[in-house]
Amino acid sequence: MTNPVLEAIRTRRMARALTGEPIARSELEEVLKAARWAPSAGNRRLHRFIAVQDPLTLKLLRMVSPGMFQRPAAIVVICIDRARAESFGMRPNAKGLFVDVGTAAQTMLLAAHSLGLGAGVVTSFSQAAASAVLNVPEGLSPEMFICLGHAAPTQPRGMPTRGPVTWQTLTQWERFPRS
Amino acid sequence: MAAKMVLSEDEALELVAFLITAARTQVDEAAEYGSLRLLTAAGRLAELIAERVSPETRTFVTGPLKQIPDLAVRTADPAGYVEALDAVCRAVAEHLVIHFGLDRKGS
Repeated sequence: MTNPVLEAIRTRRMARALTGEPIARSELEEVLKAARWAPSAGNRRLHRFIAVQDPLTLKLLRMVSPGMFQRPAAIVVICIDRARAESFGMRPNAKGLFVDVGTAAQTMLLAAHSLGLGAGVVTSFSQAAASAVLNVPEGLSPEMFICLGHAAPTQPRGMPTRGPVTWQTLTQWERFPRS
Repeated sequence: MAAKMVLSEDEALELVAFLITAARTQVDEAAEYGSLRLLTAAGRLAELIAERVSPETRTFVTGPLKQIPDLAVRTADPAGYVEALDAVCRAVAEHLVIHFGLDRKGS
């Protein structure tokens, strides 16, 4: 079975090498608009996005991000609004906060893919350093970068799978057998 | 041999920032990322200096060091990973022996 959505899900890949070509502000805005529609626990919208296109800021963010292999033309930083989360009585490590980072990220990755952009996530960065570079106010914590640009024709080999991965190997139907 | 600068201040700072922030991210990440980050740092340093070093050092930094893929990790192939690292370690030692003239010294 296939349809445009399934096709987009199946063909999206992490872009770890990007060309130097810039992306249009309008394309970045489309990615951000998509993120607004990402699932959000309780529709609480506890996340904020920082969109970065300034070359020097991008360069400094890369310097404090050991996991950033690509040189992005733009970055969307997904932040948790911790002050707002606290106002709902949520604990700092409540799982919903991080799940929603993931739903926003996947939504943006698919939006970027649909626009013909290359995109990759980076979580290996110093939150303290990134906050200093971006002058992030207290109460917001940067959790993930969505790196955007145009995918280079040749990509570095991705992280290998450890053993066969199919939807069947990832799925247990109904209950686990009694051991 | 007169010392020659092979890194600018900006480039050195980039590497310092990478190493410091990697020390922090490693606290939360998979243990095998430790080797990955060190190799990434070595690779970035190699890229930065490649055009300003001796032809012999250039051969090393653009050759053996490039043999390990950017995202190689131990768990994917433990024996192969160690073997690849040993090969680079041997290559760097062989280059050190020649570069520092140990091979021209009496034994």
